[in-house]
Amino acid sequence: MNPLRVAAVVRRIVAQFRRDPRSLALLFVAPLAIIALLGWVLSSSQSTNARIAIVNESTGPAGSVVASRLESALDGQPGIVLDKSVSDISTARQMLKDKTLDLVVVLPADFSVQNRKIVLTTLGLNPMAEAASIPAIQKALIGAVADSAGAVLPTVERSSIYGSPDATQLDTLAPVVVGFFAYFFVFILTGISFLRERIGGTLERLMATPVSRAEIVLGYSIGFGIFATLQVALVLAFVLGRLDIPALGPVPAFAIGLGVRTIGNPLIAYLLVLVLGLGAVSLGIFLSTFARTELQIIQFIPIVIVPQGLLGGFFWPIEQLPTLLQPVARILPITYAIDGLRQVMIAGADLSTPQLQLDLGVLAGIAAVFVILAAATIRREVA
Amino acid sequence: MTASPPMASSLAAPTAPAPAVEAVGLRKDFGPLHAVDGIDMSLPPGRIYGLLGPNGSGKTTLIRLLAGLASATSGKARVLGVDMPSRANLARIGYMTQSDGIYPELSVWENLTFFAALYGQTDKADLRRSLEFVELDTRTDTPAQNLSGGMRRRLSMACALAHHPSVIFLDEPTVGVDPALRVQFWDHFHRLAADGATLLVSSHVMDEADRCDKLLFIRDGHVLAQGTPAELRKRAGTDNLETAFLRFATESETASPVTETQEPAR
Repeated sequence: MNPLRVAAVVRRIVAQFRRDPRSLALLFVAPLAIIALLGWVLSSSQSTNARIAIVNESTGPAGSVVASRLESALDGQPGIVLDKSVSDISTARQMLKDKTLDLVVVLPADFSVQNRKIVLTTLGLNPMAEAASIPAIQKALIGAVADSAGAVLPTVERSSIYGSPDATQLDTLAPVVVGFFAYFFVFILTGISFLRERIGGTLERLMATPVSRAEIVLGYSIGFGIFATLQVALVLAFVLGRLDIPALGPVPAFAIGLGVRTIGNPLIAYLLVLVLGLGAVSLGIFLSTFARTELQIIQFIPIVIVPQGLLGGFFWPIEQLPTLLQPVARILPITYAIDGLRQVMIAGADLSTPQLQLDLGVLAGIAAVFVILAAATIRREVA
Repeated sequence: MTASPPMASSLAAPTAPAPAVEAVGLRKDFGPLHAVDGIDMSLPPGRIYGLLGPNGSGKTTLIRLLAGLASATSGKARVLGVDMPSRANLARIGYMTQSDGIYPELSVWENLTFFAALYGQTDKADLRRSLEFVELDTRTDTPAQNLSGGMRRRLSMACALAHHPSVIFLDEPTVGVDPALRVQFWDHFHRLAADGATLLVSSHVMDEADRCDKLLFIRDGHVLAQGTPAELRKRAGTDNLETAFLRFATESETASPVTETQEPAR
């Protein structure tokens, strides 16, 4: 191992990067733009109102009692706009289709004290978003029915061990986003960069010099590590920091940064992402063996990146995945990075926490495996 | 990789100079194709050797074997007395590949200093001289992608020679180089040889052959004939080296009929 040769490789990668404004933009501007967009969407989507109508098709006394109690329970509730002008089901259905109503509460014609079935009708084009207003309706329904029976309902309040129970979606998503960006961009950039070495004849040329495979992989890791480090620093600063800009003339007040709360030490979060990034450098070098063109590197995205996004705990906890997929999720580096980042940022874990030690250890192990694989493929190409 | 003591060769035979480049029964198979099919050669130092043959005759594979970039199926490749592949020995070898093998985003100076640094050569004044020789000293800051094809070729050569190697492999160095510069290239090759370097230059252009001290005609992975240009002309009974090549080729076919179909020029 000759430090001068490693330094030469590092210097070269930095010089190549400096002359490549597109890659610099991909590395530094794109993540900020996407995170800003995500923060914007998540923080404003909660303020929409659900437009609701109540249709009573029954003729019995029970129907009209429940309908009127329901009406008074729902009317004026935050997040709910009650449309009292609708009285028949066909108008209500048409209004759902026209998207002037979000949900219709129907008391069917056979509604009675014995048969207390109530139907909630939505459009059904976007079940996830429509489901958001259903808990409020159910709460009002229970209240309306219980009220009619004269019962007293307990009040329920949520609490959680870590974080605050009213943590926004953004607070839990932010750690994930930080890890994912670092991984994705570092992988793409090293993959393409090393592929160019292979097809441009420079790898052949490198192999004709006394530089060793280990020196090349190390040089690449440090070179791309420098940029990954800068990127993560910028992204973390943007996610954790918040700079409020007051209104100035025609420009309304706005904020730069998301101001996500973190309990743990940002430096540990940083360490996690760095180890993850080292694995991504070697993965990029390794996979470039199996590509002949830049397009073929892009073709690895659905194979390598998307499954990690789906299975790595981004959307669903590992424990909720089908039994067959759980072992798959447990070998993906993203899984451990996301868990570690959540441990640090939400639960305030530090380096003495066993769970975090496990996450870091597994990430380092995966990185080591790919460093060896990367070095091995450099040889295969040449010998 | 095993690093043999680099100075082993100087101890060998003090009377006759030890060969700088040697091949003993060297073979390289790619599946059914024998790219290099049992080549023996022994090249004393301080000369220019021309490796001549049509496309696909095995020139590049032979050079890659000698430069330690590929491992032989059987036989031995030896450079300066050290068995190849040997990473330590690469510091004494210069290899100019057929493709330019330079970084298009990097400037002329960055490309040169990068490759030189890998060989441990960091003498700036000396590197500047090697750029002067290839007439690129006025373009140090130009990105390689903005150079003409001939200039890229010159940069590629400067990168291969910056560390003053004593054995130099040049794979088709003059392709795309204009005639005036080609003459300068060859003058430089002769100066390097006069300083004691050994050069193996591959080409498929016969008019360059006369500039070499010794020629190796190669086809289908075999050496058809070797000798000085004058010797080869005399043996073939013709003044034209191209005709000589074809005569040797026909001769070898009648002498040892081809038993298996060789892949034609790739």
